[in-house]
Amino acid sequence: MDIPFKSYWDLLWTHVRPQMSRFILLVVLLFTSIGLQIFNPQIMRYFIDTALGNQDGPLMLAAIAFISIAIIQQVVAVWATYTGENVAWTATNELRAELAAHCLRLDMSFHNDTSPGELIERIDGDVMELSTFFSSIVIRIFGNLLLLMGVLVVLFFEDWRLGLVFVIFSIITLYVLNLVRGVAVPYQKKFREATADLFGFIEERLAGTEDIRSSGAVDFVINGLYQSQHVVYRFWRKREMAFMLVRFLGGFLMVGGTAIAFVLGYSLFQDGILTIGAVYLVIRYVQMISRPIRELTQQAESIQNVGASIERLSDLRKLQSKILDGPGAAIQEGALSLDFDRVDFSYVESEPLLHQMSFSLAPGKVLGVLGRTGSGKTTLTRLIFRLYDPVSGTIRLGGTDIRQAKVDHLRSRVAMVTQEVQLFKATVRDNLTLFNRQIPDERILDVIRELGLSRWYESLPNGLDTELESEGRGLSAGEAQLLAFTRVFLHNPGLVIMDEASSRLDPATEQLIERAVDKLLENRTAIIVAHRLGTIERADEIMILDKGQVIEKGERESLAHQPDSHFHHLLQTGLEEVLA
Amino acid sequence: MSVQLQLNPTKSSLPTWKFLWELMRFRPGMYLLFGFLEICFFAVFPQLIGLIVRAFFNSLNGERPLGLNVWGIIALLVAVAIGKTAATFSDVVVYFRFRYGIEALLRKNLFESILRRPGARAVPDSPGEAVSRFRGDVEEVAFFMAESLTTIAYTLFTFVAVVVMVRINLWITFLVFLPMVIVVYVANRAMEKVQKYREASRLAAGKVSGFIAETFGAAQAVQVAAAEPRMVDHFRSLADQLKLAALKDRLFNELLHAIFSNAANFGTGLILLLAAGSMREGQFSIGDLAIFVYYFEYITGFTSSIGEKIAWYKQVGVSLSRMIRLLGNDPPMTLVEHGEIYDRGDLPAVPVPMRSETDRLESIQVKDLSYHYAENGRGIHGITFTLRRGSFTVITGRIGSGKTTLLRCLLGLLPKESGEIRWNGRVVEDSGNFFVPPRAAYTSQVPLLFSESLQENILMGLPEDTDLQSAVHLAVLETDLTALEHGLDTLIGAKGVKLSGGQRQRAAAARMFVRQPELLVLDDISSALDVETEQVLWERLFGEGERTCLVVSHRKPALRRADQILVMRDGTIVAQGRLDDLLKTCEEMRRIWQGEDETQPTNAEVSIMNIVE
Repeated sequence: MDIPFKSYWDLLWTHVRPQMSRFILLVVLLFTSIGLQIFNPQIMRYFIDTALGNQDGPLMLAAIAFISIAIIQQVVAVWATYTGENVAWTATNELRAELAAHCLRLDMSFHNDTSPGELIERIDGDVMELSTFFSSIVIRIFGNLLLLMGVLVVLFFEDWRLGLVFVIFSIITLYVLNLVRGVAVPYQKKFREATADLFGFIEERLAGTEDIRSSGAVDFVINGLYQSQHVVYRFWRKREMAFMLVRFLGGFLMVGGTAIAFVLGYSLFQDGILTIGAVYLVIRYVQMISRPIRELTQQAESIQNVGASIERLSDLRKLQSKILDGPGAAIQEGALSLDFDRVDFSYVESEPLLHQMSFSLAPGKVLGVLGRTGSGKTTLTRLIFRLYDPVSGTIRLGGTDIRQAKVDHLRSRVAMVTQEVQLFKATVRDNLTLFNRQIPDERILDVIRELGLSRWYESLPNGLDTELESEGRGLSAGEAQLLAFTRVFLHNPGLVIMDEASSRLDPATEQLIERAVDKLLENRTAIIVAHRLGTIERADEIMILDKGQVIEKGERESLAHQPDSHFHHLLQTGLEEVLA
Repeated sequence: MSVQLQLNPTKSSLPTWKFLWELMRFRPGMYLLFGFLEICFFAVFPQLIGLIVRAFFNSLNGERPLGLNVWGIIALLVAVAIGKTAATFSDVVVYFRFRYGIEALLRKNLFESILRRPGARAVPDSPGEAVSRFRGDVEEVAFFMAESLTTIAYTLFTFVAVVVMVRINLWITFLVFLPMVIVVYVANRAMEKVQKYREASRLAAGKVSGFIAETFGAAQAVQVAAAEPRMVDHFRSLADQLKLAALKDRLFNELLHAIFSNAANFGTGLILLLAAGSMREGQFSIGDLAIFVYYFEYITGFTSSIGEKIAWYKQVGVSLSRMIRLLGNDPPMTLVEHGEIYDRGDLPAVPVPMRSETDRLESIQVKDLSYHYAENGRGIHGITFTLRRGSFTVITGRIGSGKTTLLRCLLGLLPKESGEIRWNGRVVEDSGNFFVPPRAAYTSQVPLLFSESLQENILMGLPEDTDLQSAVHLAVLETDLTALEHGLDTLIGAKGVKLSGGQRQRAAAARMFVRQPELLVLDDISSALDVETEQVLWERLFGEGERTCLVVSHRKPALRRADQILVMRDGTIVAQGRLDDLLKTCEEMRRIWQGEDETQPTNAEVSIMNIVE
């Protein structure tokens, strides 16, 4: 069997187990439903023989019994389906949450390689396959097997030859169909990949319509759609061909089964062993098992589908973040000191980025970091958050090695304001607190007031409950920045990093935000990474990076007045940016 | 925070069948062939089998139907069944060819409509949610069309079946069908509820996938804020809502199904009751009983699916509405417009923009241009200015003054409300299609790149042998290229995430430069650049040859180089001219130059606080 049973078990069963009582109910209902199904044709047999044989008998009663049992069977079947679906959803929702949590914790190199569209395919698409697999398929497979076995047993009771022939027949049929089952798995996998690519392509291009249009690349991109669709078509076709083989065989074998039933039925009738009613019964039962056998085939196809999903989900779960928690050292409260101790780092092994970087920053001080793009400014901020770990060297916050602390604890003590503010389609409150429902509204409003943003707040149509558009469209760049600052304030860190924060604002509005920044920097250590010298004016110390090394560090005032310092030179070239 | 479920999406005013009819006409040959095969498969063969089964049982009773003995009948059965299996094969082949054709056509029309529309407001919802239209809704329509032929086949079958049954025994046929018809009718009406639950289920699913996209798109922010558990909790609650919606949907469906199945059993029981007497008297043979039961099951199966089909038909209407919403202002029938889907593998050639005489820019005159956003009425008005060849025009102003709106409106990325734009004296009718390369190219404030190689991103359809070097040089990208592992062939990841912010901006600039447009339009490109890199960029840009530039900036180097500065405030130009003059005469200019704040909020500041720039 090439269903990865173990992986399937790991994935789903662990989530089904907490619902044991529901699961048991499901099993009971299934047994009942099948049992009733098998019983009903017996009534028909009795009816036919009695009627044709011109005997007396409570035929009316028989008919009514037939109807009643049919109704009860239906009710039980619906109940069973509902319960099965319930179990499946509950279990897979747990799995979805587990996967989301797992993926969110993976380090940034994973996220840079994986588009959100792909993750939707995994967490939504593949998990949905598992859910459907369980509720529609596992249950039906179980029901069908039960039905099949039940019918075979009853046939045995009718006549041992019937039982034997059909047991053999069933075994052969199932065996052959199983044999060809594995054929389609690789095609299914490729098909899903091609589909994921297609929708990834569409999602990306839809986000970038402005860029596409203004680059005159519309026809080119539309061609891209044709290409992606065509790839999907090719794999779809191959997959269908593979599946058809299975269906073909299935249909063929079922014809054989009915013919056998006719032949056997006729012979036994000739020998007087079966009455006409019994022949009818046998034919009816054989027709009854054609559906389960057929469905078992189709379900075999679905097993192939889900095999691919299971593989992908298992692979995903196996991924480990390279960033591991430390033993749990505590990082102190209040403004934090920062130490970089001979830190080396590169994203790619062959291209080292930071070289033996070392510097210290006292608590409560503001450090301005300057350097060209690519000199390592943004990288060093990512290292402080342990979005990546250095290749060698140590980083300390408040004297504690950050690798010794738990990652969550570390991240609760530092915060970052970036140029791109990531926003969600949710309320303003949820965007400010990042879904932290523990923070009371009063505190949020306090912070808004403290930062001088009351005017902005009052302009919101629904206050904190105002819903933002997805990805924060509908907010100007300035408002997004205001939101980002409020977020950081609520976070209450000991070290703040402002990475190119004020770049997209015009100077007039920037002043407004500068006041907010002033408040933010009270009793906190800060690192400001910027391109513009104007932003640096609030720094106590300056550090200049070049090619991953510190080429200058010192107090801003003194460096500005030293004619041979790099900082002084920069001030000269960007002379206009210096404020009195 | 409560989640509102919208249960009544705007319906298109055109009836569903009109769209389906157009789709049927798309590949009529294939549709008819498919229909024929479906009829064989679902109508002809089952009929034959039913009749053969009847013959078998009657022969057990001593008759000789069709002049055959039992063995002959069995052989006939096998032959028919083999024929059915063969029909299955061709049926499936045509089936997915047909379905694919429909899906490809719908997607192509949606995609083209979105891409050819003014760029800035192209997609009504987030791209993530729009994708669900491309997936679920497209599949729904295509699937329905394929299945609708099955319905037609079944109808034929039913017709023949009823004729056969009436010829056997009119009275039983009537008595048995009557209650069944009533039950089915009642249940079908209840099907309308199905639509409501299905739609709710769809909406909940959209919320879940939308949230996944957003959360993982913002992975860094989430990690940095240690917000993973909270995001997951919120995700859980969305997933639970989806579960409830899906369970309701399923339960309702199953209940209705059960009613229909019971109609079959109920009917069978009725047949038994009514036929008892006739069977005793030999007027109703066992063969007749067998075929009645066989037909009955088939027919009730079919009529239950009628209810489903009606509900599905309505659901298809909803899917069509959802897709039409993506069409924006294009007429709804665009969705099903026939066209090439290139499923044979050869693609259309990409037209290379030809440069003609009239494309040479001499002057651009803008007069009284205006546009206002529907949400809040803010925007630009009364915009009037002139650009000459070789000039450098800077638009400046505080946040919310309308600078980006102006650029977008000029370039046709937003549809202007009023005003006139002239190119070399001639009025431009359709800015969106006019101001594209080779005439104009645009780099926005937050340019988007795609998960291809850097080279492909810059070229975006231009021929492979295009000269990239000068564009790269102008955009100050060479040092970055040497630093990147594979240079221009580096895959830059989803939305260009493997590049730094500055590299992305400059790559987008290179993308613009390589097209050598007559007019270069940049919206605040220098925000991700440091002082020195920015200066190099301006130096290179103005160092070689004549370039006409229209730029949004508040940076001093740009303002100094400008031949003309347009100062904007509250959506209109308050001053124009050269820097020195403006510093003397315009307070707003001075303010921007020096970056002072006001002690009292002005109208401008209050309007800054409002939504959308």
